[in-house]
Amino acid sequence: MNIIIVGCGTVGSSICTQLACEEHDITIVDADRDTLAEIANNSDVFGVVGNGADVSVLRKAGAEHADLLIAVSPNDELNILCCAAARKLGTKHTVARVRNPEYAGLLQILKDEMSLSFTINPELAAAKEIYRILRFPSAAKIDTFCHGRVELAQFTVAEGSPICGQTLIDLRKKHSVTFLVCGVVREGRAYIPSGDFCIAAGDSVCVTAPEKEISKFFKSIGVYKNPVKNVLIVGGGRTAYYLLEMLREGKIDASVIEGDKARCRELVEDFKNCTVINDNGTRQETLLEAGIEKADAFLALSDVDEENAIISMYAKTQNVGKVVTLISRMSYIDFFKNAGLDSIVSPRSSTTAQILRYVRSMAASHGSSIESLHKIMDGRLEAVELSVTDDIEGITGIPLKTLRPRQGVLVACIVRRNEVIIPSGDDAIEKDDRVIVVCADSGIEGLRDIL
Amino acid sequence: MNYRMIGYLLGIVLLIEAGLMLIPATVSLIYGEATMPFLATVAILLAIAIPLTVKKPKNTRIYARDGFITVASAWILLSAFGALPFVIGGAIPNYIDAFFETVSGFTTTGSTILREVESLPRGILFWRSFTHWVGGMGVLVFMLAILPSDNGRAMYLLRAEVPGVTKGKLVPKMRQSALILYGIYVVLTVIEAICLLCTGMPLYDSLVNAFATAGTGGFSVKDGSIGAYGNPAAEWVVAVFMLIFGINFNIYFLLLVKRFKDILKSEELRIYIIICTVATAVIAANICTSISGLGVADSIRAAFFQVTAIISTTGFSTADFNLWPSLSKTVLLIFMFLGACTGSTSGGLKISRVILVIKNAFRSVRKTISPRSVSVVRLEGEVLSEDTVKSASNHITVYLSILMISTMLISIDGFDFETNFTAVLSCISNIGPGFGAVGPMGSFADYSYFSKLLLSLVMLAGRLEFIPILVLFSPSAWKKH
Repeated sequence: MNIIIVGCGTVGSSICTQLACEEHDITIVDADRDTLAEIANNSDVFGVVGNGADVSVLRKAGAEHADLLIAVSPNDELNILCCAAARKLGTKHTVARVRNPEYAGLLQILKDEMSLSFTINPELAAAKEIYRILRFPSAAKIDTFCHGRVELAQFTVAEGSPICGQTLIDLRKKHSVTFLVCGVVREGRAYIPSGDFCIAAGDSVCVTAPEKEISKFFKSIGVYKNPVKNVLIVGGGRTAYYLLEMLREGKIDASVIEGDKARCRELVEDFKNCTVINDNGTRQETLLEAGIEKADAFLALSDVDEENAIISMYAKTQNVGKVVTLISRMSYIDFFKNAGLDSIVSPRSSTTAQILRYVRSMAASHGSSIESLHKIMDGRLEAVELSVTDDIEGITGIPLKTLRPRQGVLVACIVRRNEVIIPSGDDAIEKDDRVIVVCADSGIEGLRDIL
Repeated sequence: MNYRMIGYLLGIVLLIEAGLMLIPATVSLIYGEATMPFLATVAILLAIAIPLTVKKPKNTRIYARDGFITVASAWILLSAFGALPFVIGGAIPNYIDAFFETVSGFTTTGSTILREVESLPRGILFWRSFTHWVGGMGVLVFMLAILPSDNGRAMYLLRAEVPGVTKGKLVPKMRQSALILYGIYVVLTVIEAICLLCTGMPLYDSLVNAFATAGTGGFSVKDGSIGAYGNPAAEWVVAVFMLIFGINFNIYFLLLVKRFKDILKSEELRIYIIICTVATAVIAANICTSISGLGVADSIRAAFFQVTAIISTTGFSTADFNLWPSLSKTVLLIFMFLGACTGSTSGGLKISRVILVIKNAFRSVRKTISPRSVSVVRLEGEVLSEDTVKSASNHITVYLSILMISTMLISIDGFDFETNFTAVLSCISNIGPGFGAVGPMGSFADYSYFSKLLLSLVMLAGRLEFIPILVLFSPSAWKKH
């Protein structure tokens, strides 16, 4: 596909690298010559210098024949304008990043008026992810599929956990819960485990289970945590703003520590039940005074990655039940994981996953379409939800043990009408099913790609 | 530096050379000549290349420095091994002579140390002309076109090998860009060969001359170059194709995608055509009036042929321009510096680079007159970054420095100034013949081995536009940190 990306900031460049690896023809537009040169040196893409909303620049980037334009420049207005212009020139689909909460209401109108295919909001996506973690704090991270009917939970196996040293077959025999271990990351490498895989301390494990069973699973392995009732947030930026809205809906008490006075006022104006403290969130006394010891969860959501990491480590020492850290720079994630932080949320990776899902569903193959795509285990594995729209010869109706998906691919779950099936070798994929596939590489566009 | 990856890439280049050598081997077979020189070289190449390429290194990352070193070493190795058939077959018994001849082939220079070529086996002569064709577009570009690349960093290779001021891709994917470039190259070569066949030139001669024109090389299989055929129609065909191969290949791509407006807007193309037309008129008038017995039609043909031969840096000849009046010789001398368009297979400074530097000079004058004025340098309607302007000026400085130093060094051999100066100029611009003893009817045979090696290096430096060769020989590139 011909894809134009406007803006090569953090999100732009990460989408660009990923899509270029998936064999798409990428043209990237940015006003800064040096950033562009940098990215053109690192990936096989075409760079055009200029303003993304300038028609001549768009023409030069090939907007007349492009299949998709993704506008991720730092400026919301420019992104919207650029998509509108590209649409008029002949680009088939457009995606704009719009992050300002004040535009949220406008988005629906914009979609129709400006013919945007869809809009992405990294901060909102990050807030949603954090909210899911707060609803289910037992797992380090949790993703939902099929309208919440299936959960995919990730957690790190602690030293001395009862499941250490057990194979997956033992685990399943011992616990009378329906679940499937669909991925393990050990020492930075991702595995799609088979039945004789032995769990060890320090492994990051990801488990799929029906919504009702997932709590039972965590209870039975003895790491269940009760849902969060009150949270302490450091940093009152956009992510915090979106999150506060959700917390208000979910009736969870929140306190926010924010250094900027004007920002504090805005927050108080919009959220009257929220406690807002105007102070420096990196000071130990401030955190103690705000009651870090009594908080169910601590969220580090400031703009500075390093500060977030450091105060999160401090919060861990104060025995806070759940610590969530916001990290924007992808390269930091592994580093802070090793330092013991497990619930790391990155606005960038969730945005990238959203866009990848969209691009792949555009190229969807016959008989199945992509419903959602999650990058799990810090992007090492991909979980793809496919809906089977038609009978596919050689796949539907054939038991999985004879189908034999290729190496590194696992059919993790089948949802048939109201039934959630954790498949064994005898189950088969049927028409109108929803199927969740976990794979170690990327590039699943349709059900055929599992073979 | 990633030595394993550099080794791997060099191994692939040598494998490609081994594959390419099978073509002249086949030609030898057809004409019933010894195929041994080629097959022995292929065996040597395989013995070296297979261990290097048998396992792909885990770490395939290369950076700018690795890219330049790979390209420079690849070209030196290609020439070093490409010279073997000449030595093994006994066509050129001395290895240094054979190396000079091969470098001259791959760099599309066309300077020769052979006093006469017609007695050489046809397979050997085919290889000699074929090196022009291979070197014209570049071996690493060929490698990028045929191999699936798994990282974008290979861009460094393309950039180090393709000459010109602005080095970009035609389409977002590098591999496709390389394929398109080679596609245009192959199609144009085939058209030229067919046209030559139509003028009554034998198939073998049509092919080798098409190779030499396409790469803007200039090796001929006749002692009297193209003039030896006595075929005016063939001379016109070769002249027109020399002009065509001097044009930026992006123009042909624009033609393919039907963006005709952009072609008409090309500043460099316009200037190139104007320069060629004016120079042809001046030289034709000049030789018509001063050489007795030369008709108007013949003057125009001879002038047009020589203009396109020199400006495209091919270096074919239909007449001994050494004997022309000094006005004509001076025009040709200027063209030896100039070269043709950026992004073509020609050598020299490139027209757009010269335009750019001249514009920059005018800007400096304007700035002296009104010190507070702000101005930019535009080329093809686009504003150029100060880095591009600076690097063009640097390029010319390096070009002139190498020209002067090398002229001085080869003067040790004791030839006259005109010969020495134009010999180096012809090598650095990848033309072929110069004036004086190295004129179209002369050769480089009498130079000492030292001079021949130096000139080989100058040809390589000129073809790769200095940076890769300078990086290869600069100690700081080899430092660990």
